[in-house]
Amino acid sequence: MHFTIKKSHLVDALSHVNKAVSAKNAISILTGIKFEISNDGLTLTGSDSDISIQIFIPSVLNEDEIVQIFEPGKIVLPKYTFEIIKKLPNDEIEFKIVDHLTVLIKSGSSEFRLIGFEAEEYPELPQIDQKDIFTIQGKLLKTMIIQTIFAVSTKESRPILTGVLWNLNGQNLKFVATDSHRLAIRESTVENPMGLSFNNVVIPGKSLNELSKILDDHQVPVEVIVTDHQLFVKIDNLVFFSRLLDGTYPDISRIIPEKGKTKIRVQTKEILDAIERVALIAKDAKNNIVKLTTLDNQLLEISSNSLETGKANEQILAKELTGEPIKISFNAKYTIDALKTIDSQEIDIEFTGALSPFVIKPVDHDRMLHLILPIRTY
Amino acid sequence: MMGKSKKIIFLVDIQSFYASVEIASNPDLRGKPVVVCGDPKKRHGITLAASPEAKKSGVKTGMPIWQVKALCPKVNFVRPHMKKYIEASIQITEILNQFTDQVEVFSIDEQFLDLTKSQSLFGTPETMAKMIQQRIWDEVGVFARIGIGENKIHAKMACDNFAKKNKVGIFKLNQQNYRDLTGPLPIDQLFGVGSRMKRNLERIGIYTIADLAERSLEEMKKRWGINGHVLWLNAHGIDYSPVESSSTVLYKGVGNSITLPRDYENRKDIEVVLLELTEEVCRRARLMHKKGNTVHLSVRGADFDHPTGFHRQMTLPFATNATMDVYRGVLQLFDRFWDKEPVRSVGVSLTKLEDAREVQLSFFSDQVKKIQLGNVMDEIRNRYGKTAIFRASSLSSAGLLFDRATKIGGHEA
Repeated sequence: MHFTIKKSHLVDALSHVNKAVSAKNAISILTGIKFEISNDGLTLTGSDSDISIQIFIPSVLNEDEIVQIFEPGKIVLPKYTFEIIKKLPNDEIEFKIVDHLTVLIKSGSSEFRLIGFEAEEYPELPQIDQKDIFTIQGKLLKTMIIQTIFAVSTKESRPILTGVLWNLNGQNLKFVATDSHRLAIRESTVENPMGLSFNNVVIPGKSLNELSKILDDHQVPVEVIVTDHQLFVKIDNLVFFSRLLDGTYPDISRIIPEKGKTKIRVQTKEILDAIERVALIAKDAKNNIVKLTTLDNQLLEISSNSLETGKANEQILAKELTGEPIKISFNAKYTIDALKTIDSQEIDIEFTGALSPFVIKPVDHDRMLHLILPIRTY
Repeated sequence: MMGKSKKIIFLVDIQSFYASVEIASNPDLRGKPVVVCGDPKKRHGITLAASPEAKKSGVKTGMPIWQVKALCPKVNFVRPHMKKYIEASIQITEILNQFTDQVEVFSIDEQFLDLTKSQSLFGTPETMAKMIQQRIWDEVGVFARIGIGENKIHAKMACDNFAKKNKVGIFKLNQQNYRDLTGPLPIDQLFGVGSRMKRNLERIGIYTIADLAERSLEEMKKRWGINGHVLWLNAHGIDYSPVESSSTVLYKGVGNSITLPRDYENRKDIEVVLLELTEEVCRRARLMHKKGNTVHLSVRGADFDHPTGFHRQMTLPFATNATMDVYRGVLQLFDRFWDKEPVRSVGVSLTKLEDAREVQLSFFSDQVKKIQLGNVMDEIRNRYGKTAIFRASSLSSAGLLFDRATKIGGHEA
């Protein structure tokens, strides 16, 4: 193996691949990054066996020579190679295997000799049949992840809830996340020329968190493939793999109330700010309880009351307020988390009683829904 | 004033408490050897308390009935009446509360008092001790021994090692005489040293309290951690812990344990008792309007010569006081740590308590229904007794519910 490469391209690629690599992996070879040079360019692979990320850097990009290949070959180098590369002085870096597993890295006057792992021992990434693809805009995928991932469970007592449920039906892709106290749903339209459909595909929250970071600057269509055990997302020259969670996601169709008894339309920012302020009183308490009460003249009261710290309340004028009066207690954090992901100016909130979940929806579209269960107090 | 005024701490301990209460309610027994013991037919047939007259013949707490008979043929056996003892203990607390509001109930027959600010009302520590002794004798009919000190360890050591052994039943220790007076005592007389610790200490050449006091704090900490630190402080008579009156003590947890009437060998039988215990613990938590985040299980093996068993805990998926939710945790602990050896005693407790009156509802389990179920069962039991409603498994031969329902603390009420 012998090649030279432009530093900025390598740093860029390694910053993504590194996200999948953990220095503490029990499988020692997975603590490293696989470098594989062919006649077309350099392929980098990182994996922690839950997530794998692979990037291909072509030798020529936009008539610019990025990688100069002298001799193909492969090796697995330790994770901290990334730290070394970032600090090298020159824009051009030379890699050469000098002795079986020893790699010479040269840049300007700097010289490193790193001991790598045998690339033959690196596990094969899953082979994916690249036919069954649907496409979605990268930015939209990132938005859908952010608008649902906050609701996944962080507790291992019910592992399936630590993931986001993906359903595809025709052009409609739907994400669902819940920790059994609140639930977030986000839908959008995708290109599905193959007419694919799936349900009960559950992707670990941790994987989607990494994927959303990679999707940062990509306003391009990304290709998605879902197999029995893997999610596969292709963004330009980057391929992201994640394992799926085993198990059956609970049926959520029956927990969404059909019709509310109390309907409120308010400015998103106004109610978010009010809840955030009032919740400061209840901040240290376990459940972070805030109470919402409907008053006369389309007024809403948001209040909080703590034996130790005191009381807070404020009033909001609703745009609309219809139906039965209500007094309901809920966890401020759950509501704040949901409201923060809503980019619409106005929202509708529908209540069906003090012990039933309430629904928060944006007014200007119906692709998003939040459901929050109240707190029963005595 | 010269610096901080010294505190006046008392430990009030009742001589042969159960036996003394029995004698107080049956004057015919006064002056005679009396032994309070459990049912001779069951495992509880051991000495719970012995009057000073019985002790003179060599009777000791924990001794089996046959041995007591051999040592002291004229002994009067009395079955325990736990309710009576609890009432007597409360009556004593009420007397003590008239001297200070700082009363800490340490055990059924031991209470700590902080009398620092009561001197101007009642006089010197010695005067107050005599007054307290007299009132308890007059009103409850039992003899109190009082240890006096500048902190709780002084008071405890003064009581156990000196007041119990002199005639007046009162003794005072202070920081000046503490080490001279306690130093020569054997190491197991130091508060906090049990038989196992005694062996450990003797192995490194510590036979008296003075031997321990001469060791460095670092050595004690290195060998036994926090426990070593506390023992070192005890040997030096240092104790900063305040007297905590019951109003300032927060309930840290709820727990119950039981010694089985026979050794339980198979899983099915043990499960029955674990469920009964869990139900009792959860019922008490519900009564306090608390739910717990952590469940503890302790299991002790049957063979005293080869002690087996464990005490383990786990965090529950959510705070709860619902019997079946807690029981699931108990079973997980049991499955993981039980070594399949016969079991003599088991205990279940619930800790990291929080207010149960706030319930975050859940989509996938009906919290409200669970709460209502628990409350209804508790109400039925409150009104019609502990055996008015029970789980069917309690009917099996392993069940102890019916036996326990008539008892307090494992003894007849």
